[in-house]
Amino acid sequence: MTANSTWLLSDLPPLRRSSISRSTRLVMPRLPDVAREYDGGNTTGFVSPAGDSLEGPIDLSEVLDLRRPHRYPVRVKGDALLERGIQHGDILIADAAASPAAGQVVIAMIHGDVLVCQLAYRCGQWWLKPSGADKEPQPVADEAEIWAVVAALVRTSV
Amino acid sequence: MGRCRRPGPNQRVGTMPIFGLIDGNSFYCSCEAAFDPTLFGQAVVVLSNNDGCAIARSAGAKALGIKMGDPWHLVRSKRELCGVHWFSSNYPLYADLSRRIYQVLTDRVPRVEPYSIDEMFLDLTALPGNLFERCRQIRADVLRIAKIPTCLGWGPTKTIAKLANSIAKHEPGLLGLCDLTNPAVRAAYYARLPAAEVWGIGSRTAEKLERAGVTTIADFVAMDSKTLRDLLTVVGARIQAELLGVSCLPLSLMAPTRKGIAVTRSFGHPVTTWQELREAVAAYASRAGEKLRTEGLQACHMAVFLQTNPHKPDENWHSGQRAGRIEPTSDSMTLIREALRMLRPLWRGGHRYFKAGVILSDLVLARDQPAMLFAVTDPVKSAKIMTALDAVNARYGRGTLRPLATGIERTWSTRHDRLSPRYTTSLKEMLVATAW
Repeated sequence: MTANSTWLLSDLPPLRRSSISRSTRLVMPRLPDVAREYDGGNTTGFVSPAGDSLEGPIDLSEVLDLRRPHRYPVRVKGDALLERGIQHGDILIADAAASPAAGQVVIAMIHGDVLVCQLAYRCGQWWLKPSGADKEPQPVADEAEIWAVVAALVRTSV
Repeated sequence: MGRCRRPGPNQRVGTMPIFGLIDGNSFYCSCEAAFDPTLFGQAVVVLSNNDGCAIARSAGAKALGIKMGDPWHLVRSKRELCGVHWFSSNYPLYADLSRRIYQVLTDRVPRVEPYSIDEMFLDLTALPGNLFERCRQIRADVLRIAKIPTCLGWGPTKTIAKLANSIAKHEPGLLGLCDLTNPAVRAAYYARLPAAEVWGIGSRTAEKLERAGVTTIADFVAMDSKTLRDLLTVVGARIQAELLGVSCLPLSLMAPTRKGIAVTRSFGHPVTTWQELREAVAAYASRAGEKLRTEGLQACHMAVFLQTNPHKPDENWHSGQRAGRIEPTSDSMTLIREALRMLRPLWRGGHRYFKAGVILSDLVLARDQPAMLFAVTDPVKSAKIMTALDAVNARYGRGTLRPLATGIERTWSTRHDRLSPRYTTSLKEMLVATAW
């Protein structure tokens, strides 16, 4: 893991310990008061003038809506979608609830492959639009094959 | 228990409650197939801990005659099963998809009770619009968003909803939906379904009923209350009331507080040395401590047991158990010390141990616990160490930082030879899509 990526890790929710019946409960262990960290408000001498205005760090899992049931992270393999700004190793945030539209980048599960590619609509039918001239467009037989629509992108090192 | 629910203050008198039960079809197999398109429509089997028995089978696997609980190492060599895809159980994945299903449901109906990892009761009372259409939509949304095919049944009580769900599952013509709100429809099913299909009537109870001449559900609901109570006590009477459409079991939204925590596992291979056994039991004690701390609990009582393989009669059988009170704690180090103290006298050389476990009981909320005057462990120091331990493991993955007593090589650890990636919970194991 590179130093660049650690900031993102800390913002991801500790999903592995989540449990359905206690989804609203704090999953990180509660810190005892003695170990509470300084957050700009809890000074020992002069009262902090910022005490009423604490906002905390930006929560990227909130921005990316990662706690919602329809959001799935997907890792990209290959550089075929460079023209859409998608590189090998990027993390895509796929949205399974969004309805697909022509021109969008989607995750498709077709003939046993998991593909990320652009979607087109021609002659009353969905097609996967290939990125290179050497490949033929592929018809989407069933809408279920469009697994999710790509909604956001995370790159942990630039 | 046994008393029927009176309409509460916020429940309108005269409105019939409607309960739904939705459950995942071959849930664990569906979780595996959700991220692996090569498994669509294939025979898939998920095995229990230690890759022992089949605990989930896809429709394709059921068609090949694989039974629930089949010992996999015995049946896998059959020629007709060579094409079956099999997996070790990947609980982080299943728990995450279960969480997703729950969230999809809570977004669509007012109240949801997560009854088990793959079954949820729904409150469908007095929803506006066409209920059938709404249920069809819920099922479609769970499939599209959480990627799990389900069956959904509903009726005026939980017991009827459970029966409706089972009918939806077994009759493909219903497309996964079954409505038992209409008494006439219910009566038709009751007449042809055996009483053993009902939730709460097990095989022993069914035998008892059969001796009394009761075979179908219709026979069961027609029993007079005196005979029924004599035969099956008030529990039977409650099942009958529920089947007649009188709701006795309300939706429970809170999981009951834990009474105990058990960490018991069979080993990956038979354990014959004290060193290995000690490591395994220390690891179980440490895991039990983690569980206590995530729930803010402390244990006051501990039991430790070990046993050889009961399925191998030719091997020398030995089992032992020891239990006792311990200083109230959730400190892994203290738990390990206590567990090993109890384990030591149980150990006998020359046996091939198969399974061991640590069971904590008499659990109390840590914050309600008064400070001990003569405590062995310093509570402040212990809390600091455990907080740091849990924080590191929450961030870098379970087991990153652990007591040395739990071993380094862990040769005894549970076998899971064919584990699928933790697609949704691990940064390193995410679903990979090829750019095309």
